[in-house]
This record gives sequence, C-alpha cells and structure tokens, in this order.
Amino acid sequence: MILQTDTISLTLQGNRLLNDIALDVHPGEVLGLIGPNGAGKSTLLRIMAGLLRPETGRVLLDGQDLFTMPSEQRGRHLAYLPQEAPASVGMTVRDVVTLGRLPHRRTASPEQDAAAVQQALDAVGMSAFADRSSARLSGGERARVLLARALAVQAPILLADEPVAALDPAQALTVMDLFGQYAAQGQAVAVVLHDLALAARFCTRIAVLSQGRLVSIGTPAEVLTDALFAEVYGVAVRRCGEVAVPWSLVSSARRP
Amino acid sequence: MSRYTLTVAVLCTLVLALAILSLSAGPAGIGVIQGLSDMLYGRETIAATIIGQIRLPRMILALLIGGTLGLSGAALQGLVRNPLADPGVLGISGCGALGAVLVFYTGVSTLWAPALPLAALSGAGLATLLLLALTRGGTLVLVLAGAALGSMSAALLALTLNLVPSPYASYEIMHWLMGSLSRASLHDVLIATPGLLVGSALLFSTRRSLDALTLGEDVAQTMGFPLRAVQWRVVLGTALAVGSGVAVAGGIGFVGLVMPHLLRPLAGARPSRLLLPSALGGAALLLAADLFVRLPVSGAELQLGVVTSLIGTPVFFWQVWRLRGRPV
Repeated sequence: MILQTDTISLTLQGNRLLNDIALDVHPGEVLGLIGPNGAGKSTLLRIMAGLLRPETGRVLLDGQDLFTMPSEQRGRHLAYLPQEAPASVGMTVRDVVTLGRLPHRRTASPEQDAAAVQQALDAVGMSAFADRSSARLSGGERARVLLARALAVQAPILLADEPVAALDPAQALTVMDLFGQYAAQGQAVAVVLHDLALAARFCTRIAVLSQGRLVSIGTPAEVLTDALFAEVYGVAVRRCGEVAVPWSLVSSARRP
Repeated sequence: MSRYTLTVAVLCTLVLALAILSLSAGPAGIGVIQGLSDMLYGRETIAATIIGQIRLPRMILALLIGGTLGLSGAALQGLVRNPLADPGVLGISGCGALGAVLVFYTGVSTLWAPALPLAALSGAGLATLLLLALTRGGTLVLVLAGAALGSMSAALLALTLNLVPSPYASYEIMHWLMGSLSRASLHDVLIATPGLLVGSALLFSTRRSLDALTLGEDVAQTMGFPLRAVQWRVVLGTALAVGSGVAVAGGIGFVGLVMPHLLRPLAGARPSRLLLPSALGGAALLLAADLFVRLPVSGAELQLGVVTSLIGTPVFFWQVWRLRGRPV
C-alpha cells in the first residue's frame, strides 16, 4: 500500500503550519521525517494518520481518500505510534499489546489475534514480561510495549512520532532495527526523527521539513548535505571520513 | 473458570438473592410465591396487591436504577479516564432531578406522562455535555465543574420547591436530592424502564471504544474509534439511564463511583471488562441499600441516597487520597 500526501497545506490559528507538502511512502521503505523543532513534522504525521484534516490537498491510501474511508478500514491499514501515551494502569503488558488487535475485531479469529500479539511481543523482546503489570515498566520497556501494540495491528503502513526520543542508544538501535525489519516484510514506515545519525543509517529515504515546507526528499546521501545543514538547522558540519558523525553505534548481542 | 467469570457469577447470584429478599421483606407477612402467582393469574388478593403494586415495582426499580448507575459510572470513568467520574459526584443526577422537578411541579407531567423522564434526561444530558466540554481541563476542572453543577442544581431545585405551594416542600426536596424508592409504583416502572434499558444498551455498545481509549484519544481514533462517536454514545446513554432513574427515584449518588472502584481489582483494568460487573454490583448495592432503609430502625424510613452516600463518601475520600500527589 502506498500512502501519499497530495500537496497538503494547513493553517491553524493564523499560523501556516504546512505548505503544499507532496510526498509518498512506499512498501518496503522507512521514510524519515526530519527538520528543526516546529518544522511541522508531527503535524504532517498526524495528517497522514487521519487525525488532522488538511486545509487543502488530499491524503491518499492506494489512491483512495483517507478521510472518506470508513474508520474501521482505516484502522486496519494504518498503525500510529504517538510520542506519548497515557499509562495503562492495572493492565498487563499482554493486555496493552492485545489492544492493537481492536481494528481486527470483526475480521480476525482469536487464534490470529493471539499469534499477532505473540509475534509483536517477540519482536520487541518483551515476551518474558508479557504478564507483568504495565505500570511497573521502565521508560524504555514501556516504549517497546507501545511499539508492540502498534506492530500487533499488522498494518501495511506504520507511522511513528519520535519513537526513540526517550530511549538510550542501545534501545534506540533496537527500535530502528525493528522498523527496518518491518519494512523488509513489505510494509511501509514513516518515522519522525530528531537524531540525524539514526536517520542517515536506518532510513531508506529522508524528507526534510523546514517552516512547514518540504525542503528536500531523497536518500540520506542525497539529502544530508552540508548546504542543507547550514540552511535548515543553521549549523556547520565537520566531515570526518564519509559520514556526518565520526563514529557509528553498532548493536551488541545483548538485548537491552 | 476465570476470575472475571467467577466475579460475574457471584454478582449474578447476589443480585438474584437480594431481589428475592426485596420481594419478601416488608411489614405484611405474605408469601412471595403466593403473591406472585395470584398476581399472574389475576386473583385480586392482598398478597397480589402488595407484591404487584408495592414490592415488585420497588425491586425492579432498585435493580435497574442501581445497575444503570453502576454502568454509567464505569463508562464515564472509562471515557474521561478519571476514577472520580460518577453521575452523582459530577452533578449529572442533580441536573436530571432539577429537570424532573420542573415538569413535575408545574403540572406538565400530569398532562403528558413522558415529559417527566424526558425533562430529567434533558437535564442529565446537558450536564454531561457541559462536563465533557470541560474534561480537557483535567481532573481538577472536571471535579470543580461537577461540584458547581451539583450545587447549582440543588439550589435551583430547592428554590423551585419553595416556590410551589406544597405543604410538604422540605420532604419533597429531600426526596429529589437524596433519592428514594419508597413511593415506587408500577407507573414509575413503565415510565423509567425504556430509558434505563436503551441507555444501558448504548453504554454497553461503547465497550471496545473505551478499551481503545486507554491508549489515548489519538491512537483510539487511528484504530477506527472516532472520539466524537464514543462521546455521544456515552453522553446519550448516561442521560437516558441516569435521567430515567432520577425521574422516578430522585438523585441517588455514589453508586457509579463505588462499584467500578471495588470491582476493578477483580474484573481487570480494561474498561470493557468493568461494565457488566459494575452494573451487577450497582444493582446489588441499591437492592441492599433499599432493604436496609426498610429496616425499622428509627421509626421513619431513611432516604435511600443517605445510605449510598454513607457507603460512597469513604470511597470518594480514598480516591482523592490516591490522586493527591498527581499534577492536576
């Protein structure tokens, strides 16, 4: 499935938040949405998730307008992982992940639901914690449970808003790795990121937003140029070798 | 048997036992089975009259009103994700009672019987809508708005009853504010039952949406549960259920606060799993409270709402105690 924004614009309370944004997310790719604070990344992702209606332009899912699609059908096609979620007091980890199957309540069998939940728990490495109360998790564990909830939807499109913002480097790598695996299975991922090193390493393509405009879109090598850093972020880059950072983090065998 | 099934089974048995007890309890020593069979076969005996005209309506209303109060408390708590949400605490019952009093004492309800439940559910519905508009302000705003609505409706209700030329004004004020089933009649059952049942069905229909809402409004919406639709169903369901109950029994408080709180550890934290046990628990609580007020303790009958408030306020204090450290 292809998710496409067709020249969308949005003004809220007199502020032009997004200006003629046209991009698409394809099966098999991880599209990174980057840009300085206030560039409109999260707003764009919310529009792509059907949470906000653009003022002009359309959001298309395989050519069909997202906002005229029945909400239940939309729920099966898109999984959205917000920056923050309320604490699910009293629920076990498995309970929370099982909620991800709600969009399939009329279409899937209990066996399919149980398999999807188990698969999602395995993917984030939380199977051992399945029966633990979700209130007793660390920040990183909680983020992984919420990711598992989104994975359990088994939607062709996954939209994640700064999923690694609260994670330590090892967990951030695990999560980005998961997005890569998800895309490799033929699904499409769009992810808002602040960490440019992670974006450069894990994203198939990167879309750069600045002041509500799409400044550049392409592979990391095409997009992350010195000129772009200077123009969008107002910083200079000191290149050490071929990459923008002089080191790269490599996932160790130990699970975080 | 899972803990949930066991909880539901125990509650069902409890409700059934209390319902039978409610039919049996009273100053007239009559046989329940005899009375019921006389009633069904149309024999005009004293037992049939007492069971059919007095005890059966009272039992049915305690069961249904208690059930819907427990249910609406659980649904409201799921919707606003706040353990302090309860139709009584938030002034929804009070506003419903105000609506009922306005049409009852102006004589409109004698001209057109459905006016009474309709006015009560309009009052309850308006209050719920107003509260929902304010829920975005968080716990503090919600509870303050509820307190304001409760005080306002109580004052206006007392004012209305002081203005109507009734020698029993103070007794009437107490009936509507505290709630009572002592005057329950078959006519009341006919007036209230449709709203109580339709309201309950609406509230039950939100169970999956309430589960989704535990993940936050945005995620629920992306999973195919539009927030507006859930809100409307809860508002309409609460207004129908609470309004219809209030129209015949006045504002009975705290049932919706107590039951979800007591049953959450047994039923689990998923709002959908809490609805049925809360409804059953509410029915059991009101049946038991109504049996208690009929005990000849002080000579005069206690108001039903006094008993539920006495049970409910400690739970309310406990909830406030638990919330004390949280930012508002």
